Amino acid sequence: MSEASSSRLRQRRAEKAPDLSSAAIEHDDDDYAISPQNPNNRSELEKVLDNEKASMAIVGILTALAIATRFYKINHPDEVVFDEVHFGKFASHYIQRQYYFDVHPPLAKMLFGLAGWFVGFDGKFAFDNIGDNYSEAHVPYVGMRALPAILGSLTVPLVYAIMKECGYSTIVAAFSACIVLFDNGHIAQSRLILLDATLIFFMTMTMYSYIRFRKLRYQDFTPQWWGWLLATGTFMACTWASKVNGILTVFAVGIAVLIDLWDILDVKKNYSMEYFTRHFFARVAGFIVLPITLYLFFFWIHLAILSNSGPGDSFMSPAFQETLKGNELLLNSQDIRYLDTITIKHKDTGVFLHSHPERYPLKYDDGRISSQGQQVTGYGHDDPNNYWQVIPTKALPETGRGRIVRHDDVIQLLHVATDTVLLAHDVASPLMPTNEEFTTVQKDDQTRYNDTLFQLKLVDGHDGEAWKSKSSHFRLIHVKTKVAMWTHPKQLPDWAFKQQEVNGNKNLNDRTAVWFVHQIVADETGEDFKHRVGDQPDKAPKKRNFFKKFAELQLSMLQHNVALTQSHPYASSPINWPFLISGISFWTSNPDQKQIYLIGNLIGWWTSVGALSLYAGITIASIVVRRRGIETLSEPVRNRLWNSVGFFFIFWAVHYFPFFLMGRQLFLHHYLPSHLVSALIAGAMLSFILSETVNYPVSIPGPRMPRSRIRDRTFADLGTRGPVIVGVFAVAMLGLFLYIAPLTYGTPGLDGETVNSKRLLSTWLLHFQAKETGDVAV
Amino acid sequence: MSGGVRARRPASPPPGLPHAAPTSQRFPHPRHDHLDADARKEAASRGLLPSRRTHAPGGLNLAPAEWKLLILVVLLACGVRLFRLSQPNSVVFDEVHFGKFASKYIKSEYFVDVHPPLAKLLITLAAFVFGYDGRFDFKDIAKVYDHVPYVAMRMVPATLGIATVPLAYLTLRAMECRATTALLAALFITFENGLITQSRFILLDSPLIFFTALTTFVWTCFCNEDKHESFTDSWWTWLVLTGMSLGAVVSCKWVGLFTIATVGLGTIRQLWNLLGDLRVSPRLWMRHFVARALCLIVIPVLFYMFMFWLHFLILSNAGDGDGFMSSEFQHTLRGRQMADTFADVAIGSEITIRHVNTQGGYLHSHPHTYPGGSKQQQVTLYPHRDANNDWRILNATHDSETDLEWMEKPLTYINSGMRVKLRHISTDMCLHSHEMRPPVSDVDFQNEVSCYGMPNFPGDANDDWIVEIERGDRRDRESAHRLRTLRTQFRLRHALSGCYLFSHKVKLPEWGFEQQEVTCNKNAVRANSLWFVETSYHPKLPKDAPKVNYRLPGFLSKFLELQQVMWATNAGLTDRHMFDSRPDAWPRLRRGINFWVKDHRQIYLLGNPMIWWLSTAAVFSYIVVRGFLILRAKRGYKDFENTKVVKYDALCGFLFLGWGLHYFPFYLMSRQLFLHHYFPALYFAILLSCGVFDLVTSTLRPRARLYIAGFLLCIAIWNFVYLSPLVYGNRWTRAKCEQAKWLKTWDLAW
Repeated sequence: MSEASSSRLRQRRAEKAPDLSSAAIEHDDDDYAISPQNPNNRSELEKVLDNEKASMAIVGILTALAIATRFYKINHPDEVVFDEVHFGKFASHYIQRQYYFDVHPPLAKMLFGLAGWFVGFDGKFAFDNIGDNYSEAHVPYVGMRALPAILGSLTVPLVYAIMKECGYSTIVAAFSACIVLFDNGHIAQSRLILLDATLIFFMTMTMYSYIRFRKLRYQDFTPQWWGWLLATGTFMACTWASKVNGILTVFAVGIAVLIDLWDILDVKKNYSMEYFTRHFFARVAGFIVLPITLYLFFFWIHLAILSNSGPGDSFMSPAFQETLKGNELLLNSQDIRYLDTITIKHKDTGVFLHSHPERYPLKYDDGRISSQGQQVTGYGHDDPNNYWQVIPTKALPETGRGRIVRHDDVIQLLHVATDTVLLAHDVASPLMPTNEEFTTVQKDDQTRYNDTLFQLKLVDGHDGEAWKSKSSHFRLIHVKTKVAMWTHPKQLPDWAFKQQEVNGNKNLNDRTAVWFVHQIVADETGEDFKHRVGDQPDKAPKKRNFFKKFAELQLSMLQHNVALTQSHPYASSPINWPFLISGISFWTSNPDQKQIYLIGNLIGWWTSVGALSLYAGITIASIVVRRRGIETLSEPVRNRLWNSVGFFFIFWAVHYFPFFLMGRQLFLHHYLPSHLVSALIAGAMLSFILSETVNYPVSIPGPRMPRSRIRDRTFADLGTRGPVIVGVFAVAMLGLFLYIAPLTYGTPGLDGETVNSKRLLSTWLLHFQAKETGDVAV
Repeated sequence: MSGGVRARRPASPPPGLPHAAPTSQRFPHPRHDHLDADARKEAASRGLLPSRRTHAPGGLNLAPAEWKLLILVVLLACGVRLFRLSQPNSVVFDEVHFGKFASKYIKSEYFVDVHPPLAKLLITLAAFVFGYDGRFDFKDIAKVYDHVPYVAMRMVPATLGIATVPLAYLTLRAMECRATTALLAALFITFENGLITQSRFILLDSPLIFFTALTTFVWTCFCNEDKHESFTDSWWTWLVLTGMSLGAVVSCKWVGLFTIATVGLGTIRQLWNLLGDLRVSPRLWMRHFVARALCLIVIPVLFYMFMFWLHFLILSNAGDGDGFMSSEFQHTLRGRQMADTFADVAIGSEITIRHVNTQGGYLHSHPHTYPGGSKQQQVTLYPHRDANNDWRILNATHDSETDLEWMEKPLTYINSGMRVKLRHISTDMCLHSHEMRPPVSDVDFQNEVSCYGMPNFPGDANDDWIVEIERGDRRDRESAHRLRTLRTQFRLRHALSGCYLFSHKVKLPEWGFEQQEVTCNKNAVRANSLWFVETSYHPKLPKDAPKVNYRLPGFLSKFLELQQVMWATNAGLTDRHMFDSRPDAWPRLRRGINFWVKDHRQIYLLGNPMIWWLSTAAVFSYIVVRGFLILRAKRGYKDFENTKVVKYDALCGFLFLGWGLHYFPFYLMSRQLFLHHYFPALYFAILLSCGVFDLVTSTLRPRARLYIAGFLLCIAIWNFVYLSPLVYGNRWTRAKCEQAKWLKTWDLAW
């Protein structure tokens, strides 16, 4: 800056504080820190680092190192590693366009599919087991692994950019970037076909765009402002569509936006309601409508690509399955006609509707009385006692479509083996006094005729819809007493051979009261019924509304995600994550004692934990002290701690604490997004410790800026200490990174003693450890 | 009350002048209660009222007429709650459990329950005083009582249920509500069908609700004192009472923790306000802090621990709860003690081995085979002492040949790293593992463990295990180097496949007699692969060789262990129950619980719909109004300077906080939940609805207010009478029963 401009600055300052020199003296002894107003007053090193060229050089170095660390020996191992089993397989399903089912949204997996297609993967490799060899099967796996590696490398300069945008000095930004750059955990995770690198990249992009957006708040509704608003929404949708836990990013941004809106609403800001409403709807458009639309769009692409039948069919409803080309239901489902003999299966528990000549005991253990009728139970295995014949209750035409059973028809079910008819009546069932007993009576017992009538209600059925084997899910409603045929996993006692109880549920809409016809065993004549089908051409897949398909898929994804509870040897609980108590063994190779073990860089992680606790401590202390009317921090610093670091802290907390509530299996890599954010906080804390100066204000001035908000500029100055400390830190990080690199890259192989020495914490479960006790008896 | 007239006293000091307590004491005002709450607040805000009073408006200084009224209400509550208490004369719902626990206390047989002991002890006390001998087994619902003073036992919850009624009155009075409002609340509680039903049987919820109500009351009194003057005798009294009552509530059921949270948040708020008051010196603030910490943390904890001390004192015999506890703990129970055993383990010792981390028991084998896998003899964990738990530890270091001639050789102790075989003595087979998947945990990294071999067959290399000593006892140095009974924890590594002998809380199916599965795990969680030797015998050791036994745990370690077991058991209660429900269904009163059905009579836990829905409506109206006020405040409206808003905001805010803290945490629990878990929250909601009533009718004349209260009460009583056959298990016609199903989801039995 020229001498002239700096003197002008001094003059402007002079208007407010006439005695500049006295203010400069105060700088040393009081709690009110006056930063050097003139950027030229900063230390030489700070000035050098702050200029554009130095910044670019640092970004260049960081990016180059990131690429180097992520791509180093990316072709090793040439075997399926850890969850590549799943995600590699999904990529091949995209290429082969076979329908699959997974708990995660499709974007990241589609990108893998795209990468695979781009490098010429034919999708024939099955990714069946961890350790299957790629080279022998000629899978272009390096191309697929390059995708997360590129995204992982780009995350590093992004971290740097976020810190720079937030007004931290160059060296602090480099510090944060180093924590991510040399982190073994981030590196291991982004060298393999896994979703996390994509997730983290998009999350970082979301943060970056939101910060840019927020900095433009005095220039609202300008094109840049809209641009960054929409960019935030877009990346938010990408994060969400990459992995289920991306939804946490949406929550974090949501909280920040709510706080922002709440501030705009504040009467002291002097904004009109009309102005607030405009802001409100702009955010609804950018942060709700746009992300949801994009999310739906990704699913639309997903479903459009996966048009063939595949391994995921059975997770979906019959109506969904019939939209897939080559689906078994589509090909084999047939209309059921009256007098056909069928087997009926319960959808949830998978048992057949069954009956046998044994009767209910007269008196149960609890003293209640039964009808002593023939038992009707649920039985898990194929058996002639599962055969039921559909008996009409109306006159039938001789032939033709009139003989097809349809939605809302009233039918009887004849148990073929005992020649009795299914019946429900107002007698309590064996296990549940509130539910009705199901039994059977002789076919010709006219006195009970009304008790044997059941109405067929197809799920989502419409008038005249035909009842089909396999594909029609139905409820069977007892006409007289209005109960639904139902079964539950509780076993009956020995007198019913521990089979499942079938009873009448008064809740007609119980989700578990749904059955389907498993098979048509024979038709009226007892002949082979297949001739009805004839040699019809292959049926074309049916059309179904995208939104219905999406809703169904989304629901079953959530249900399956919750159900992932079986234990895994390397699963860990969230409390251990920030401290790096244990990692995950991704891959081992016995002959040369190689292994990949996901673990972070201890220095980086513990620094981050220290920074988090320091931040919490400072915040609490400053709140308490302010409550006593004492001001310890200068306004720029307090503002920075509250707004900028507070924003990071929300991201950290929102990406971490919800895991405590999740019952599903959890792994260390679920913490990686939070770890990245904690690196940002670590940078902010380093800046706080080293100096009370910050670059302030960072927001770009604009027409909306009220006069009261115009602040004096201050500049960060870390002196020479900053670069020295960061330099030492970076070297230490690099050293530790290289030390445990064999565990990250899976090469070279290590002997037992070396493995022991790499095991920095005793809780890390590495393979190929040497036994600690030397005196093993022979 | 016609206080409005006298409010304009001529001799009020002008605003701004000091009018502190001394003046009001020199010239005591004739009566303080002649102003109603609003008028007093209003006067105080204008500085017209001598705001300091000789005594805080605690709930106990009522007019004599009010005391009489209260006695009448209590008598009415007695009538409602004690009516035909002996009916039904058979076991109802969870009396199955709590009656059974009372029997066990009387027989002093150890049991484990998920609830702390206070309420159960009270019930037991009643049973004991009335001469119950503990013989009845409370096996099933509707089993007829035989020689059980069940009425006396039911009297405990019933009495506490009755006592809740005047507490509701006093609480609202202490919160400066009008007498009409307080009376309405007391009568709502009296005629709440759910609370009545719950208090008529041997169940823990009625004591819980009573203590919750008591805590709310004493806490309110304390807050009143605190506003008036701190560190007086009555201030300390109320504070200590709050602490005691918090201890009692959490000693009934862990749900009491929510009450602690309510009081805790209130305390934090008080301390926060004191912190912001710059006239309060840091020293004084510390005094406030320490006083509260002492009374509201230390006293409840001591109370809670004292209850468990009583619990352990009474339950001194072994019982069916043993299996939940660690071996050290079991050793303290009469009937489970173990004789001293040799401290040393040597080649040829006859030992029993226990699993450290689970209470599955001893490494066990029996002459039954696995139905699948290798079809060899089963190896399990079995919790009881039995000859099938005995193993002989043999040397396997010589290649391929087992050292059967250990008798002739000198004693060799077992060191870390030694290669051994374990021979099951009664079947003469060796502990064996091989590359087969175990029967239940059918995963790659688990191998089956079986017993294999025959008499005089030395066994193969798959029988060889390597002893890896994990840790010894600090007080027995040797135990870290060689195997010592009870003191050494060790792992057994399979010599050929490198997997570790492992067990976890997975039960074998019926063919394995539901004993715990034992496997060999290649990725064993360390804690689950640890074992120790419980007993050891070696014929060559002299009689006077050193012997050991369990170290008896002290009260504190027993207490902590039991807390862990209770927590684990509680978290494990995840089976569905026919009448369980999720929290979202409770405020709607979607469905009740079938307590008892017999001979076309039934007891069905269901609330009084009118009171219930009214209370829910009050909660939601509070949320809406408060939210609206916050938005208005943000836009610059000065509602919170209006004294009426301030008063009712504080009152309803506290009650809402109580409701929320007793309700929302249930959403986080995945265990079985029932309608009656809502009752503490319901208590707060009912008080809140009365607070809202007080606000809505504050502009009306007293008579009009009384009419409205009377009208609400009539509907409530009509509701109560209509559904009362479900409460008392009275005779009912089917038509009436069908008619009473106001919601389709009320699944009354018929």
